[in-house]
Amino acid sequence: MPSSKKPKRMTRRQFVAAGTMGCAALAVGCKEGNHGNWDFLNDAQARTLTAICDQIVPEDDFPSASQAGVLTYIDKQLARHYRRHRDIYRDGLAQAGAMSRERFGQEPAALAAPQMAELTSAIEKQNRKFFDLVRSHTFEGYYGAPRHGGNRNAVSWRMLGMAEPPVNGRAQYDLRKGSA
Amino acid sequence: MKRFFKFAAIAAGIAVLLAVGGTYGASYYYTSQYGQGCASCHEMATCVSVVHSAPHRTVGCMECHEASLATKLRHMRIHIFGTIPENIRLRDVDVPAIAENCKTCHQHEYASWHAGPHSVTYSQVFADPVHNSKRMLMDDCLRCHGMYFSGSIRDLVKPLNTKGPWRIIRSGFADQAAMPCMACHQIHREGTQETKAASRISVAGAAVPESLAFYDRRETLHFAAATLSIPQLHDGARAVTISQDPRQALCYQCHAPRDPETGSVAAANAWGPQVGSGDDRTPMGVHEGISCVSCHDGHNENTRASCKTCHPQMSHCGIDVERMDTTYASASSLHNIHWVKCADCHQHGIPKPKTPAAVKAKLRTTPGMNG
Repeated sequence: MPSSKKPKRMTRRQFVAAGTMGCAALAVGCKEGNHGNWDFLNDAQARTLTAICDQIVPEDDFPSASQAGVLTYIDKQLARHYRRHRDIYRDGLAQAGAMSRERFGQEPAALAAPQMAELTSAIEKQNRKFFDLVRSHTFEGYYGAPRHGGNRNAVSWRMLGMAEPPVNGRAQYDLRKGSA
Repeated sequence: MKRFFKFAAIAAGIAVLLAVGGTYGASYYYTSQYGQGCASCHEMATCVSVVHSAPHRTVGCMECHEASLATKLRHMRIHIFGTIPENIRLRDVDVPAIAENCKTCHQHEYASWHAGPHSVTYSQVFADPVHNSKRMLMDDCLRCHGMYFSGSIRDLVKPLNTKGPWRIIRSGFADQAAMPCMACHQIHREGTQETKAASRISVAGAAVPESLAFYDRRETLHFAAATLSIPQLHDGARAVTISQDPRQALCYQCHAPRDPETGSVAAANAWGPQVGSGDDRTPMGVHEGISCVSCHDGHNENTRASCKTCHPQMSHCGIDVERMDTTYASASSLHNIHWVKCADCHQHGIPKPKTPAAVKAKLRTTPGMNG
């Protein structure tokens, strides 16, 4: 039996109001998407991850993991090719922060080197999956191609004695026969 | 139906208002505060924050970057759909506009570069019958002669053979500079604000502009001159003394030596890369140990009047050094100025210095030359 009720139509005023609110929501949504300098991580997660990565590759004569841009590498990949690892990072970093506060009453980034080493060992034992992931991503970022965000200025390649970019000439001219 | 058209007309009106207002509003917003507006799309934040710690910190994004409606719409599409590239880099089609904008402030440097060989165009490099009839073009040519070209050599030139005739097939590229300013200068970089050149001149050693960097097209990144390597070269078995001036590390990226060819004496004796191999021009002989930029101007590579920096007008032989039989005086000379030795002319022994009285007088009055 057909309904005698007419479907309620949107008035012009409602339409304009809805359009305006939609635009405002879009603008606010854009603003809320601002992560500072990171694509995926937030600042607190980045500080914790920096502390862990710098335990894996600490500074010596050459830069540490974070100084060589490993954080940038991991962040870029988590926003793109490594989306599947996002939950492991979120949970792992939250767990690392909680463990640090519970054991030392401070955030991981504020810990002294021996305390951070202890915390990193504890993370390795309690959340092996997260630690293994961070370790392999740290190595990828430190030793991989600089175009992906890590290995800043090809620092690890120079550490290994590889000139980057290589000085590699071609047999175009025989200059010894004539002009400069 | 009438109601539908009314809504459609209102929707179209709002869309037009948003587009016009948004475009002009966005332009005003982005040009204000030296790019902070651009950084509010967080994918741009890194680019903006880096340039804000560099010498161009007081230059707005759009004073260098082209920002047409098409570009803005492209950026918006990427932002909305999240197809953000791993590294935000200049597209090859955007490079000429940027290089033109360099000229706005750096007129002298631009004019100097334009007058020199490094302002060569794609057409001059890749459609050169003299070169192409002898050697096949290949992707590696682009390493130094098209750093910002994003395709491969087959996207740039046709035909790829030694018969020709060759033509540039990428529209709009034939007359573009193959080595633009950004081939050797990194604009978005971390660093301190540079002072004017006059106050950068150092008495302690070579003043190295922080912008000097090599653009590696494979990595789509700049490598700062200070991080580039200077090779150890040999003249036969002898290790040649090479200036460690970091500025010339940039020159070595393209004017590079080659490993000795298989079967050569150098390869058999494992002497290492030889001076003069490939496109290397490391000075040897009387100029050994001198940096490229001691004689060559940084932008136009001109060496005019550079001899006077070190030499008195007359040499120890009593001959004006600029008129000696070298490639400095004449390109057809057999004595390349990079490798000329006293013994090249004095084959029966180098005579004792014969300094004329006028030169002695000049030496006495030249600061730093009188003992």
